[in-house]
Amino acid sequence: MTRTNHFSPGWAAGLRLLALLALPAAGRPLAAAAPADFYLCAALNKGYVTGSKITTLSGLFRRDGTGAWQHIGYNDLSIAAAAFDPRDPKVIYTAALNGCWRSLDGGKTWRQTNGWDITEGRDVAVDPHSPDHVYLALPDGVAVSADRAQTWVRRENGLPDRGKYTQTIKVDRAHAGRVLAGCESGIYLTENGAKSWRRVLPTAATVDDIQQAWNDPRQWAAVTQSDGAWASIDGGVTWKRFPGVPADHALYNLTFDPTNQRRLAIASWHYGVLTTEDSGATWTSRNAGLPEPHRVARVGVDPDTGRLYASVVNDSLYTSDDFGRTWRRSALEGSVINNFITVPGPAK
Amino acid sequence: MKTKFFPALVLSIAAAVSMRAQPSFAGPMPSPAVEPDADVRREAYHQRINEVLHWYSAQAKPGVPYGREVILAKLALREDRAEVSRSVITYMKDPGTGPFWMFPVVAMSLLGQDQLTPAAKQALRDMWRTTYQVRGDTENHWAMYYISLYLISELYPNEPAETWYTGKSSAENLAEAREYLIHWMDLATTVGQGEFNPTGYIAEYAVPLSYLSTWAKDPAMRLRGHMMLDLLFSELAENSLNGMLRGPNARTDEGNVIERWNAITSYFNWLLFGNTVPPAGYGGFGMFFALAAKNYDVPEVMYRIAVDRDRDFVARDLKRTRRRWRLSDQLMPPIYKTSYMRKDYAAGSYQGGLADPIQTHVWDVTWAVPDPRGVHNTMFSLHPYSSNDSMQMYFSTFPEPMIPNLAVEGKPSYDTPTKVVGSSPYERVFQDRDTVIALYDIPPGTRFPQINGFFSKDLVNLTEDKSGWIFAQGGNTYLAYRPLAAYKWIPYLHRNGGWAKEEKNLGGQLLVSEFLKNGTIVQAASADEFRSFAAFQAAINSLPLEFKLEPVPVVKMTTLRGTRVVFTYGQAPLVNGARLDYSKWKLFESPYLNAEKGSRRITISYGRMQRVLDFSVPSITESATPTP
Repeated sequence: MTRTNHFSPGWAAGLRLLALLALPAAGRPLAAAAPADFYLCAALNKGYVTGSKITTLSGLFRRDGTGAWQHIGYNDLSIAAAAFDPRDPKVIYTAALNGCWRSLDGGKTWRQTNGWDITEGRDVAVDPHSPDHVYLALPDGVAVSADRAQTWVRRENGLPDRGKYTQTIKVDRAHAGRVLAGCESGIYLTENGAKSWRRVLPTAATVDDIQQAWNDPRQWAAVTQSDGAWASIDGGVTWKRFPGVPADHALYNLTFDPTNQRRLAIASWHYGVLTTEDSGATWTSRNAGLPEPHRVARVGVDPDTGRLYASVVNDSLYTSDDFGRTWRRSALEGSVINNFITVPGPAK
Repeated sequence: MKTKFFPALVLSIAAAVSMRAQPSFAGPMPSPAVEPDADVRREAYHQRINEVLHWYSAQAKPGVPYGREVILAKLALREDRAEVSRSVITYMKDPGTGPFWMFPVVAMSLLGQDQLTPAAKQALRDMWRTTYQVRGDTENHWAMYYISLYLISELYPNEPAETWYTGKSSAENLAEAREYLIHWMDLATTVGQGEFNPTGYIAEYAVPLSYLSTWAKDPAMRLRGHMMLDLLFSELAENSLNGMLRGPNARTDEGNVIERWNAITSYFNWLLFGNTVPPAGYGGFGMFFALAAKNYDVPEVMYRIAVDRDRDFVARDLKRTRRRWRLSDQLMPPIYKTSYMRKDYAAGSYQGGLADPIQTHVWDVTWAVPDPRGVHNTMFSLHPYSSNDSMQMYFSTFPEPMIPNLAVEGKPSYDTPTKVVGSSPYERVFQDRDTVIALYDIPPGTRFPQINGFFSKDLVNLTEDKSGWIFAQGGNTYLAYRPLAAYKWIPYLHRNGGWAKEEKNLGGQLLVSEFLKNGTIVQAASADEFRSFAAFQAAINSLPLEFKLEPVPVVKMTTLRGTRVVFTYGQAPLVNGARLDYSKWKLFESPYLNAEKGSRRITISYGRMQRVLDFSVPSITESATPTP
């Protein structure tokens, strides 16, 4: 069964927003670039408890030329996110339970970059205009490095003392030092490399994901635990709610389709996969073919093919070549995918 | 999503070895007589250590590589060096990760310095380069992780970053570990320990601390390890009734809560003080403590606190909750703990609310029995709270996945309405000596809107009086339980901690009261105080008592000890007309343990004996004040 959620007539403001979102691309479409690298962070947690033998391979995986996933680096169930230095893709950062790890050699060797006072990294981002600058989302705020994660400092001026649990952090690829952080109490924006933050969207519970559109860097979208899904067309300064996206339960992540600017998908434990193909004007449940209950931890879109991926919790990775209309059981049986990461290839 | 961090191996070890006879586990209860001779006590302590080591060493099977515990026991006993070395090499071929894995491997390295072959030592050393170690996310994980990292970095000094899984040099690892450990000790001795009085997790502190106090090369860190052991064991001594740790407990499980003796804390009481018998398999992790236990001398002041129960005493401690990442206006709100200890029974509580999201036990009255094995000698009530918000408060997780995962991660009862472990944000507790009042104000729509009262199979003379009181006797203790709303009885079905999936009928009942505004009053007394059980009942029935449940529960009563109490849900209690001021609570305040909040200085005393732990120096000072 699929279900289409049409927005109500009263949400005219949302409609105008969505119309704007559907404008022709103002930025470089990803498909116009050379093939991108596509990664995921997977936890294969089959009966592992701390101290027991390791029987599975978890952590960072890269999609190879055949579409298979190749493991990179160390075996870690807890990798929540990864980021790459745009100057050198062999420089990798992971946000993980121990904090933030860094490799300078494509994953052969790693260094835990933080001390005891940083833990449970939730997300990590590199500023493409200033790639020595790395931003780390933490359960107790935000840390910033100006030296490729050799050292960290807390940069939380403007974040509340409580309510700064930070689940997601994204750097605006159009402006150096412009960063959006998804926190317990809302979305916060800095325009000076985290020297100061201001709240641009208050929320009642944690903001789970923020994404920047591939075709237009002014367009952003976010999902939350209790406030539904949101869109911005002015670089994250103002936000409007996506009508038609339910808000009774948590939304875990959101992804733009790099190959089709009108398509977005949302993952949710409760709702499974929700998609839109009209820039958010209408949303459809796309769970037919996914196992029941369709507990979806994460969705991602292959930047080269538009293939939609859905991680069904502790079941498998599923793929769809028709944006969720049909699904096929794929790789990484028993996994939970914590993140998909697209690294654009060089411009053609 | 959420990595599992539970001490699986504690349970598996205990289960694996419990079938084989163990001398003290199967033997008689020790004499309660106090042993005044220090040499005799020390000799008995060493005998108990040897019992553990020899028992584990004897588990070796011919022709099979030794497992971890056998390797360690034989290293401690300096036996079978060649086979031990071969077994270490085999063991290192398939490494694990995380703090539970790390500390036994550290013990192998340190015990084996002059025993293992170069190849075995190299296998151990290589593991620290090749195998990523997860740090975990709890206070006990970090104690194990950082003490392990500290000791192993000290053992291999001056080695470069590329030889460690951290990608940091020996010096960097050492500095990070030292900084954290001092920070943690600072917290524990200024605002209190987070995982306070744990029934199972005490080993996760005691074992690595014993290694730190034995093997740290830096004398100051070695001393700090010793001081933390003193603190941990002094608290155990003060809070145990004849070798049984009772509530409250920041972290525990069903088995430990209903059969108070059956916890690894009893192993430590047995080993250190000889005042009970150890649980099966020496509690699992108990053997890891035995490896270095001979380097710890039990101070006499601590022994006396543990074994003297002739004196009634009240103890008030300051603790803190587990770290709250979100959904709270404080990172680690304070816990105000009260304990009342008598020869026949003990009552303990904290003020209610969430301490740990899953495993907290808030209050109980526990009575003494001649032999506690198999006896459910406790009484308490709770609201069986289960909530995604609670998970998110303490874990960096999405809301929904954790609760289903708990069923397979060693906490199978968490999301069940009849559970007997857990704290609730909708419970408030006040205790005056042997009177405990628990009030509940549960918002409509809350999962499991009921109160569960635990009534043991070992209670006798259970009487539902027309006054509304329920009377019973446990051991030499009279108990009066007053539910403040209507209730029903259901059989208590036991779901043990760990991976037990089945419910067992071990006897006993649950008093279930399905009213959102609710309360429990328990009053205990020694049978020696009354001519008869009927006289106790008459005394309880004559106590001035008023209560109402709307708009919020309020109890106004005079206790059996004559204390006038007005306790309103959400307000500080009025005690003899004065408002209880929790801000004045000290870090420790009792006849035996005393410390000011923020002081880093704990005084352990018994009679003329005094032992002062000053973490700001650090130093241990022993003295004896003149007899009055």
